[in-house]
Amino acid sequence: MGQPLLEVADLSKYFGGLKALDCVNFRVMPGQILGLIGPNGAGKTVCFNLISSVYRPTSGRVLFEGRSTEGSAPYEIAKKGVGRTFQIVKPFASLSVLENVLVAQGIARYDAFLKIWSAWRSKSEVNRGMRILERVGLAELAHRKAGLLPLGNLRRLEIARALRVGHKLLLLDESFSGLRHEEISRLEGLIRSIRDEGIAVLLIEHNMRVAMGLCDRLVVLDHGRKIAEGPPEEIQQNEKVIEAYLGRKGGKDAA
Amino acid sequence: MSSYVITIGTVIALYAIAACGLNVIIGYAGQVSLGHAAFVGIGAYAAALLATKAALSFWAALPIVLAISAIFGLLLGLPSLRVRDDFLAITTIGINFIVEAVFNYVPFFGGALGIGGIPPIMLFGAKLKGLGFFYLCLFFLFIVLAVCWWFTRSWAGLACFALREEESAASSVGISPVRFKLLAFVVGTCMAGLSGALNAHYITFISATDFSFPFSILLMCMVVIGGMGALWGPVLGALILGALPEIFRPLVDYRILFYTVGLLLMIRFQPGGLLGENMIVRRIFARVFPGAK
Repeated sequence: MGQPLLEVADLSKYFGGLKALDCVNFRVMPGQILGLIGPNGAGKTVCFNLISSVYRPTSGRVLFEGRSTEGSAPYEIAKKGVGRTFQIVKPFASLSVLENVLVAQGIARYDAFLKIWSAWRSKSEVNRGMRILERVGLAELAHRKAGLLPLGNLRRLEIARALRVGHKLLLLDESFSGLRHEEISRLEGLIRSIRDEGIAVLLIEHNMRVAMGLCDRLVVLDHGRKIAEGPPEEIQQNEKVIEAYLGRKGGKDAA
Repeated sequence: MSSYVITIGTVIALYAIAACGLNVIIGYAGQVSLGHAAFVGIGAYAAALLATKAALSFWAALPIVLAISAIFGLLLGLPSLRVRDDFLAITTIGINFIVEAVFNYVPFFGGALGIGGIPPIMLFGAKLKGLGFFYLCLFFLFIVLAVCWWFTRSWAGLACFALREEESAASSVGISPVRFKLLAFVVGTCMAGLSGALNAHYITFISATDFSFPFSILLMCMVVIGGMGALWGPVLGALILGALPEIFRPLVDYRILFYTVGLLLMIRFQPGGLLGENMIVRRIFARVFPGAK
């Protein structure tokens, strides 16, 4: 295997005395779907926020394409080709679905002082935006106000937005939660097709069936520590993982 | 038109120019600024000093006035835009008081006496006053509206809308919050400066109290009543709040009371402003003509 696309090296984040993330290591290879799983409060979203530079690590480093992202602002991480979604969806509520995607399509212009003055509603940009909406299945809702959409559609809108930014790596934070069964299988297909285009995907997932079926590799966090890493079959058998999720042998079954 | 109507029209046009600038900051970029009068004042003092001390004509001084307004917008925006929401509101109020105090106490700015004897604007060798000056104000208002219109259609505007809606999501798609907030702030302060410069040459006398905090509130009210983020909103707001005191002249002592009641009614029934989202005009229209859309 070549150089990892993303490398998380001894990454820690403390909030006061709370070790939200404690010396975690893993790598994402190009074209790989890596799943980040673990019980609630394990530090998964904190890990995402460190990768996308929303938080600064207490110690350790995040390397993207071999370079440390230290000191980069979140918008600079986006410019490197990393798109992300949010566990609590964050649409641009009063803009239309199409406009939400167009905002992300402007990423190449926001740095150039002269380019930001051209009109955004051009035919080619609208067509480009419609293509991505068709891909996630929101084309017929393109002119609806984003704030009026139900959760499932908002999750897909966030993926569309993230795809316009993340041409190298996509971070999906619980994109499956709150979706119906048929929506889940469609989204699985979408994520596989994204991977087949060569975009690496790092996803946080609570739905074990989805995580096991979709991911090439899984990293399991518990109380901020990495307790296991490996292919899904291996993780399913791992005692530490079972213990983290279900409790010790002899204890009551968790729900 | 009587000169009385022309005077009121001119004042309303000057209000509208400044309010349009505030609309760029509040309505487009979502940054609450309660110190907009300070930037009107900076434009007015810059124009007044350039006219009286450097003996420059209005037209020669205009680019310099706009540059000064932009530079002060940048300098004062840089620290204030680091904080958000209520903290930003408080910081901008502070800016308003500091700028007013500087005008009031520094002898260079004329102190409490202000600056008088500002010459009127010359155009084609004639002094502009009355109707001519009113048309000049309308001309500048038209330019300001054109800039606003263009701004909403540019990528810069779209980036500002995204920041207004959801800052963390905007930065996750490559928008630098500081850069675009500052951009909106500078565009807004330039418009405020323009309004101030025109005002200085119109009244021919300015003093610090003309640009005090209540004027900031008035401008804010215009933007809110007209409809935040709506292109014509600030113009309508300026029209209403500029004309009302004249219509209710006998009640002038209770003006503030009327503003307050008006604002409360707006907040209750039209939180988006008269020309904002879900506007009352459209709702009534929909009720009268249920089929039309």
